[in-house]
Amino acid sequence: MVFNSLTFVAFFIVMLILHNLPFSWKVKKINLLLASYIFYAAWNPPFILLLWLSTVIDFFVGRALYTQENKHKRKVLLVLSLIGNLGMLCFFKYGGFLLENFTQLVNLFGMDFHPAKPNIILPAGISFYTFTTLCYTVDMYKRKSEPVKKLLDFSLFVTFFPHLVAGPIVRPPQLVPQFETARSATRQQLLQGLLLLSLGLFMKVVLADSMLASPADTVFNAHGPLNTLDAWMGVLAFSGQIFFDFAGYSTCAIGVASCLGFVLPDNFLYPYAAIGFSDFWRRWHITLSAWLRDYLYIPLGGNRNGRFRTYFNLMITMLLGGLWHGANWTFVVWGALHGFYLWMEKIVQHFSTLKQAAMTSVSSAEIGVLGVLPGELKTKTVRNFLLAMVTFFFINVTWVFFRAPDFHSAWQMLTAMFTHIPNGQVLLSTLSIIKVSVIVILLVAFHWMMRNTRVLTVAAKMPWWLLGLIWAVLILLLVWSQESSSSFIYFQF
Amino acid sequence: MTNSPFSKAGILMLVLVIVSLTSWECYVRSKGFETSYDDNPALWADKRADVYEPADQSTVFIGSSRIKFDLDIPTFESATGDHAIQLACVGSNPIPILENLAADPDFKGKLVVDVTEVLFFSTSPHNVETPLKNLKYYKDRTPAQRVSFQLNHLLESQLAFIDKDRLSMNAELGNLHLHDRPGVFGEPIFPVEFGRVRFNRQEYMTDHFVTDTAARNQVKGIWAFFAKMSKDPPVSGPKLDSIFNVVKIAVDKIKARGGQVLFVRTPSSGEFLFGEKMGYPREKYWDKLVSQLQCPSLYFLDYPAIAHFECPENSHLSQPDAILFTNEFIRILTQEKGWKFRNLPAVVK
Repeated sequence: MVFNSLTFVAFFIVMLILHNLPFSWKVKKINLLLASYIFYAAWNPPFILLLWLSTVIDFFVGRALYTQENKHKRKVLLVLSLIGNLGMLCFFKYGGFLLENFTQLVNLFGMDFHPAKPNIILPAGISFYTFTTLCYTVDMYKRKSEPVKKLLDFSLFVTFFPHLVAGPIVRPPQLVPQFETARSATRQQLLQGLLLLSLGLFMKVVLADSMLASPADTVFNAHGPLNTLDAWMGVLAFSGQIFFDFAGYSTCAIGVASCLGFVLPDNFLYPYAAIGFSDFWRRWHITLSAWLRDYLYIPLGGNRNGRFRTYFNLMITMLLGGLWHGANWTFVVWGALHGFYLWMEKIVQHFSTLKQAAMTSVSSAEIGVLGVLPGELKTKTVRNFLLAMVTFFFINVTWVFFRAPDFHSAWQMLTAMFTHIPNGQVLLSTLSIIKVSVIVILLVAFHWMMRNTRVLTVAAKMPWWLLGLIWAVLILLLVWSQESSSSFIYFQF
Repeated sequence: MTNSPFSKAGILMLVLVIVSLTSWECYVRSKGFETSYDDNPALWADKRADVYEPADQSTVFIGSSRIKFDLDIPTFESATGDHAIQLACVGSNPIPILENLAADPDFKGKLVVDVTEVLFFSTSPHNVETPLKNLKYYKDRTPAQRVSFQLNHLLESQLAFIDKDRLSMNAELGNLHLHDRPGVFGEPIFPVEFGRVRFNRQEYMTDHFVTDTAARNQVKGIWAFFAKMSKDPPVSGPKLDSIFNVVKIAVDKIKARGGQVLFVRTPSSGEFLFGEKMGYPREKYWDKLVSQLQCPSLYFLDYPAIAHFECPENSHLSQPDAILFTNEFIRILTQEKGWKFRNLPAVVK
């Protein structure tokens, strides 16, 4: 089920009541686990079997990896686990894509091969829970942390409904210890959680679905050349939509977990105020970028083997990060563009003093995919704002490949954005242009204002009446939008 | 905790939300709004699931908006004893739904197909978007969506302010009528009192709309706008033959399973009817269709009792006329077309 549905509201109320009844901690955990399975099965019940399979195999393989002393057996176990997890992901997510590319390739060499198009349904959240279980397996192989003692705790770690289908991608040490001792939310946690849930739903329902989805869809679904203004408005609309949609989901997830007394990691930190592309990846889908850093970039060698190898590793990480988002070459190009931006940034840094500054301020909380945030970039100067706007501009260019259904559409969009096309289609109404402009300007301004703080920190400092008023406006706009429960964009990834 | 603003803020939020929503509900009711339902894919899918009811207890209707307005479901149900399952979609071609029912071996019931020529004999992909979207939703709907639908029904049946087409944020913003750049296609906005939807998917125009000349002219203007927008000539030749063929295959499948199919041309009037006669001459479209299908049909102009209606906006019947039409429609079905209903045995003259 999705957070923005009445089913979830009913489900969540029941969960809150059950979680606060005087049951033993074990019973409460079983409740949470069953609820998580119901949450997942409410989409497509048969896919629950995949989740069980993944959970059980990884629990026992993880334990064996940790306890097994024989190196060869450990390697065999690791490979089997990786094949199992990634094989499942490849089949469901990339099966059609691989077959399509294979067909094109062999036809290129003169073979007349036309297989039937496979009808594979992508299980919701498979990319997310596969990464969650993969990191456990790798951690056990490296003996980075203790194996989870109980299958119940491990199942709950994998399946816990707030993060199950679209993250944040959690690591065992972040969540498993929270299942080991009894916990319920304090009144403060409950209220903060409800505030975050309201904010997340507002972002998703009001801003992403009600305001920005239509202009973005109109422009990206257009056939034929576009007017420059419409092309830019479409891209900006999608830029806002993808943020509000995904960050909205993460905010809901963190809020829901907080209402139950659990803490999930932040996933977004005002990414459109990023200064530079490494800063962007410290702020956008943080748990994925950290995962890619720890389980792909660093194992590939990171920056330990010279500059050329660093650049190569960086590009591989971004290409695979792109492919993770979807089985389409456009996502690979999206990743490649980000890889290229990071290359350029590294080259610039190499010849500037920023690199020096980066080395002097180390705060573990701020380490993203590409290391620490240079202290110089924390200040809100006009220069930094301009740099943030340049970054935002280039990020918008990448969204064209992320959203366009194919390269032809992406090229058409880029052509319209950067050249004047006589008689380009004029698509968007004045109202749509106003909506996109106002929301995107406010979005960027809000990100800039908030870039060094957190929403709950700001809320806690507000006068209670102002906070109550803002909270009420969020809820009323949510009701007024009257949007039905559409899926989150990241569910398809 | 003592300095935390969250508790007080939460209480204030609750008070403000409750007061605002209550006031809003009172306000919209004072403006004459009644509860109305969002005619979305969830509501359509709910009705689609009913087509498996026994053939002697239900009749399925497909088509465009006319049958939604013109068939008065309470009248039909009380007179016949049948459950009327309304699957018609506004502004769309019903052929995808006809094909879907034909391909479903479990559907063996009575089917009425409403024909609005400009939509039925159309090859425009735009005209099949809604049926295809509804069919996809029906096929893919999840248990969670079914529960949400039931909960939403509870709210929609009680609260008048839940009215996406008229009272939502986007609907209200649309009422600003901002001037667009030349070349922008602006979806016309219908008056709020045209096209209210009941839970059974029957649409109706309010009494106020029927008496409001300006509102009726506004809708007539919208029909003229659509007519002007349609640049392609009416379909003919092999494309038309292909439509006949597709429909015949579907109808034959249903009939082969013991199902009954009837085609109906519901009333229109004034300039709209004149334009339809010009663009889609009866002998070239309707007559050819029904002669090829060899199944019962009903063209409103052939029956004096339903040929005289003046549609308020030239294309759909008012509520009182819909009741008259439905009664006569039932009479024709039973007395002339041999259809049997639980409450009304067939009396073929």
